Amino acid sequence: MRVLLVRAVWVLLICAVQNSTAVAQDHDPLVRLDPTVRHAVAVMLDSARQAGLPTAPIESKVFEGLSKKVHSRRILAAARNVYESLRLARAALGKDASTDELTAGAGALRVGVTTAELANLARGQREKLLTVPLVVLADLVTRGVPRDTASQTIFQLWQRGAGDDDFYGLWRGVERDIVSGTAPGVALLARAREIPSRVPPQGTPPASGTRPE
Amino acid sequence: MTDRKLQATAFAVSLAMLTTGEHAVAQSTSELEARVEAGGVMSSHMGTLPLNAIAVTPGLRYASKRLSISGRGSAWQSGTHWQLGNASAALEANTPLLYGVRAEVMANASRLFFDPTSQNHQVDAEGRLHFMRNRGGFWLGSGVARPLRVAAVQSVNVSSGGMWTKFGPATVRGSVTSFFFTKATSPDSAQPVENSAPCPAPASVDAISSGVRTLSSTATTGCRHQSRLTDLEASVRWEHRLVELTVRGGQRFGDSFDVTPESRQWASGQAAIWLTNKLAAVAGGGREPAQPTRGLPARSFASLGMMLAYWPIPRGVVPVETPLSLIRAFEVRPAGTSLQRFTARIGGVETVEIMGDFTGWDPVQLIRRGRDHWELLFPVASGIHQINLRIDGGQWIAPPGVPSVKDGFNGEVGVLVIEKQ
Repeated sequence: MRVLLVRAVWVLLICAVQNSTAVAQDHDPLVRLDPTVRHAVAVMLDSARQAGLPTAPIESKVFEGLSKKVHSRRILAAARNVYESLRLARAALGKDASTDELTAGAGALRVGVTTAELANLARGQREKLLTVPLVVLADLVTRGVPRDTASQTIFQLWQRGAGDDDFYGLWRGVERDIVSGTAPGVALLARAREIPSRVPPQGTPPASGTRPE
Repeated sequence: MTDRKLQATAFAVSLAMLTTGEHAVAQSTSELEARVEAGGVMSSHMGTLPLNAIAVTPGLRYASKRLSISGRGSAWQSGTHWQLGNASAALEANTPLLYGVRAEVMANASRLFFDPTSQNHQVDAEGRLHFMRNRGGFWLGSGVARPLRVAAVQSVNVSSGGMWTKFGPATVRGSVTSFFFTKATSPDSAQPVENSAPCPAPASVDAISSGVRTLSSTATTGCRHQSRLTDLEASVRWEHRLVELTVRGGQRFGDSFDVTPESRQWASGQAAIWLTNKLAAVAGGGREPAQPTRGLPARSFASLGMMLAYWPIPRGVVPVETPLSLIRAFEVRPAGTSLQRFTARIGGVETVEIMGDFTGWDPVQLIRRGRDHWELLFPVASGIHQINLRIDGGQWIAPPGVPSVKDGFNGEVGVLVIEKQ
């Protein structure tokens, strides 16, 4: 009787484990991937964790591909692209870069911006986050602005203290000009000239009422 | 008609000129629109009793990338019988937009009906050159109008210019339209205009102020007068969610021979309130100036009714070239802690969806809030996100108004940066 009872408990335990595995698989979106690809993605995510890289952008790219019903192999290629660009972005932007800056920097690298250009931006003033300038840079290059023109212009504006609103305004103006028929590079240079420098010239005495540091 | 003071201009022509400014703005997709309005209309002008009628006005419009064809006609019931009221048919063709410049050609045939004794038909054609940017532009135009069955006027030369600009949900337009025509007065209405002698110039200030009396003095022999009118008109169209308002007003310049005091200024307004995505309550009223080229007097009018509108896009017949051009606006704004409000202005579609990393890349439908207004409140954490938009189950695209990059799957994806609240 006792033997029967023990066997019944074992059977129930095995069934419970199997059921929980089945439920977990149903809720795992990666299960829709080809098994080989799924394994490769899992290895990639693990490598990213070990390197201190954010895994959310890689997972997001996989889920995006699944939702857009892309072939598993293409999803793997896109995910690898994201992983590599995150790794290079970390090297270019430095360890202090935030997750958002890394993600935006990786996006810029994927459209052709070089690591040297990215590192150049990171060497500039770091009182504000680089996220928006990098997003705008990636968009401008995607729209056909020559890469070096875009990088140089964004760098100069960044050095001159341009804020997020300035970069968004620049992007909107360039988009309108391109739609109207202006060459992308010309549009960017013209719009960039409209943004004033926000950095006070060196040697300027502090405003009255403020204590000099 | 000849006994009445003729103090009017081709108001329908100037109205068409004002409204087609909006049609010329970047319409790069094909669409079909059908409307039916039904309601009451009241019209009155000097010397007659007000006309009250029930009017049913169907309209149809087809627009493709380069061509737009529209037709509209109203049936009026006053008393016990139905009759044809106002009607119009229009054809517009335009060139591609190149460096902000577009050429347009328009042809119209129209019928204006005030009452059984005041009605007119006219055909007209005009060419325009538009200079436009995203939020404004101006145009120059020239054309000719030919009123039918108006012996006093044979043809009207029209020159126009105008500008428009957008301030948020409002569009402001201004235009200047000049009409040049030869007007004849003759006891014999069959006598052609060109056979009449020029009218004598007024000899005194009193004669100048009563140009009609000067004409009347030569009524027994008839004469022709070179007339020139200039209309300065402005309008404001404001659209917000379920409400559309249009207010217009104008000032006419010309000598007293052609323009009487009651036609110097005019103003009117129209409102539409969308009760559902296809049904709207419409109301309008105001004063229209006289139209001397069409023999129509100035009049006051008021109307109230309902409008049923339908924008099917028969994909099998009218190819939709790109859904991006259907999207008039797309915005993402903060709406509370961790909540973002997604709004889009897209007309003529059945479903609008977004998806992104903040939705787990699951499509989420926007809710229709008006005729072409779509909205969604969704939690989005601060930081960088990717977003796609889809219309009627079609291709996923990067929404306009948002920076975008290639998605790695032969498409594009929008990039949102949400600031910390």
